[in-house]
Amino acid sequence: MKMIKRHDFSAIMTHWLVALSTFTLFFTGFVQLPVAKRYFISTLPGLSWSADYSFTLKLHYLAAAVLTFALFFHLASKIITRDFDLWPRRGDIRESYLIIKSLITKKPEPPSDKYLAEQRLAYAYMAFNFLLIVLTGMIKVYKNLPGISLNPKLVWLATTLHNISSFLLGLGIFAHLLAFILFRENRNLIPSMFTGKVSLEYAEHRHPLWLKRIKNNDNDQQERSQIFKQQIFDEG
Amino acid sequence: MQQKKMSRREFLRKSLIAGAAGAVALHAKPSHASPNTQKKYAMMIDLTKCTGCESCVLACREENRHKFPEPVHPIPVNWPTGKYDDWSDKREVRDRLTPYNWTIVQTVEILRNGQIEKINIPRHCMHCDNPPCANLCPFGANTQTPEGAVVIDDSSCLGGAKCQAVCPWGIPQRQGGVGLYMKIAPGLLGGGVMYKCDFCHHRLTAGKVPACVESCPNGAITFGTKEEIIKLARERAKEINGYIYGDKENGGTSVLYVSHIPFSEINEALIKQGAGDKKSGKPAMPTFTDNPSDAPEHLVKSLALAPLAGLLTAGITAYKTFTREGSKHEND
Repeated sequence: MKMIKRHDFSAIMTHWLVALSTFTLFFTGFVQLPVAKRYFISTLPGLSWSADYSFTLKLHYLAAAVLTFALFFHLASKIITRDFDLWPRRGDIRESYLIIKSLITKKPEPPSDKYLAEQRLAYAYMAFNFLLIVLTGMIKVYKNLPGISLNPKLVWLATTLHNISSFLLGLGIFAHLLAFILFRENRNLIPSMFTGKVSLEYAEHRHPLWLKRIKNNDNDQQERSQIFKQQIFDEG
Repeated sequence: MQQKKMSRREFLRKSLIAGAAGAVALHAKPSHASPNTQKKYAMMIDLTKCTGCESCVLACREENRHKFPEPVHPIPVNWPTGKYDDWSDKREVRDRLTPYNWTIVQTVEILRNGQIEKINIPRHCMHCDNPPCANLCPFGANTQTPEGAVVIDDSSCLGGAKCQAVCPWGIPQRQGGVGLYMKIAPGLLGGGVMYKCDFCHHRLTAGKVPACVESCPNGAITFGTKEEIIKLARERAKEINGYIYGDKENGGTSVLYVSHIPFSEINEALIKQGAGDKKSGKPAMPTFTDNPSDAPEHLVKSLALAPLAGLLTAGITAYKTFTREGSKHEND
């Protein structure tokens, strides 16, 4: 099967670092509420540590450092390489509607670029919540330092926004996973998050604008077609 | 209560100390100041002077009665534990901290030099310098005011009792059937509102000292700016060849105890009486310095450096990619 390179190593690493740290942050943040003892989570085998606030807080900090690193790396990389493929575009809401409608009615969907319109919208939604979580989280960490006491209203606002944006992010992740569970078409993208490649056939069928863009770059057609050739792998 | 006879020298010495303490207290009356210039306050409790009369307990109760909860009955049973907290029909309880009793006096007897010595210890919130209860409140309902008072907002507290669990003394106490959780999912989430001494914050902002300070007939409680109280406590400890509790515990607090008996012995005696369990409402006096909300320095540093490390790695990666692509094209 012919495959085409969709993600480089750093994109794959960033995705999994964000996934792993976010999962850790969700769990260690959730048990701060406090729920581990009340709902007997700490009595489950191997989870007795979940009721230890001091330990789960340290784990939360550690995962937050990993997430912050990954987010800043991602943002800076995209800006430096001028890769704005994931940034939302005008008309994405309408196009998302058409794509989802096509997925349900099994009719041909509008041609997509490297990412689907709803992926770009989802990215913006996730990015906004991540930004809010990191910002309010930083305020919370600063407040916890010895000798620092912030205005109670600011503390309440930062805490409430941290909780709300975490909840919204959770919903986003749920929708992200649901998109793969519900729609077979989307599952073609899963290998790209491990190997960086997707099937060329799938890309031609669903992301013709992306392939066209790689093949026919207005500025440097020859160079781009060379790159395009380098990105296709025959994996039998 | 039997009064001990006092020698003339002792009377003069005590008068001088009381006078000095009074002068500090008068001098240190809190005033309205902006948070940036606001001084932090503290209190010194001199255990050599406390007779256990409980004037502070009663004054605290009277002064803060308007803040006490008036729960809705029946109190929802918390799922899945099947428990709930209700002190509303036990408002007169004085031998432990409750939502209706924010100050208690503990009494221990300690054998020293063949004689039993009775020590009375007024107890309430220690108002930590870096309060774990406020730092770790998941809803931002518990905060430290510029005056150094740690105050729970009864309108946003959900009564998860995490503050009690992370408080080294288990000070905050929960009352069910009251507060925000009653409007969300009573029985399923939260469990009421947490209550504790707030350093008489309403009095501090009005330029007054806490009610317990004013009520003590023996001058055992002195209130002032943090700096002054620390200085005074050190002087007093030196004077009686005694010990200070609260200056280092949990990283430092705003309530300093001075005693001529080591606090390790007092703690031992308190624990023998059943104090120390977080839910008992009877705090012990453990000597420790660690604060459960202090993250290790390397973790905080990692967090502070994470954005920079991300930017730097992105720069290096991009540089490597550009140079690799550049050399590829040159070779082509």
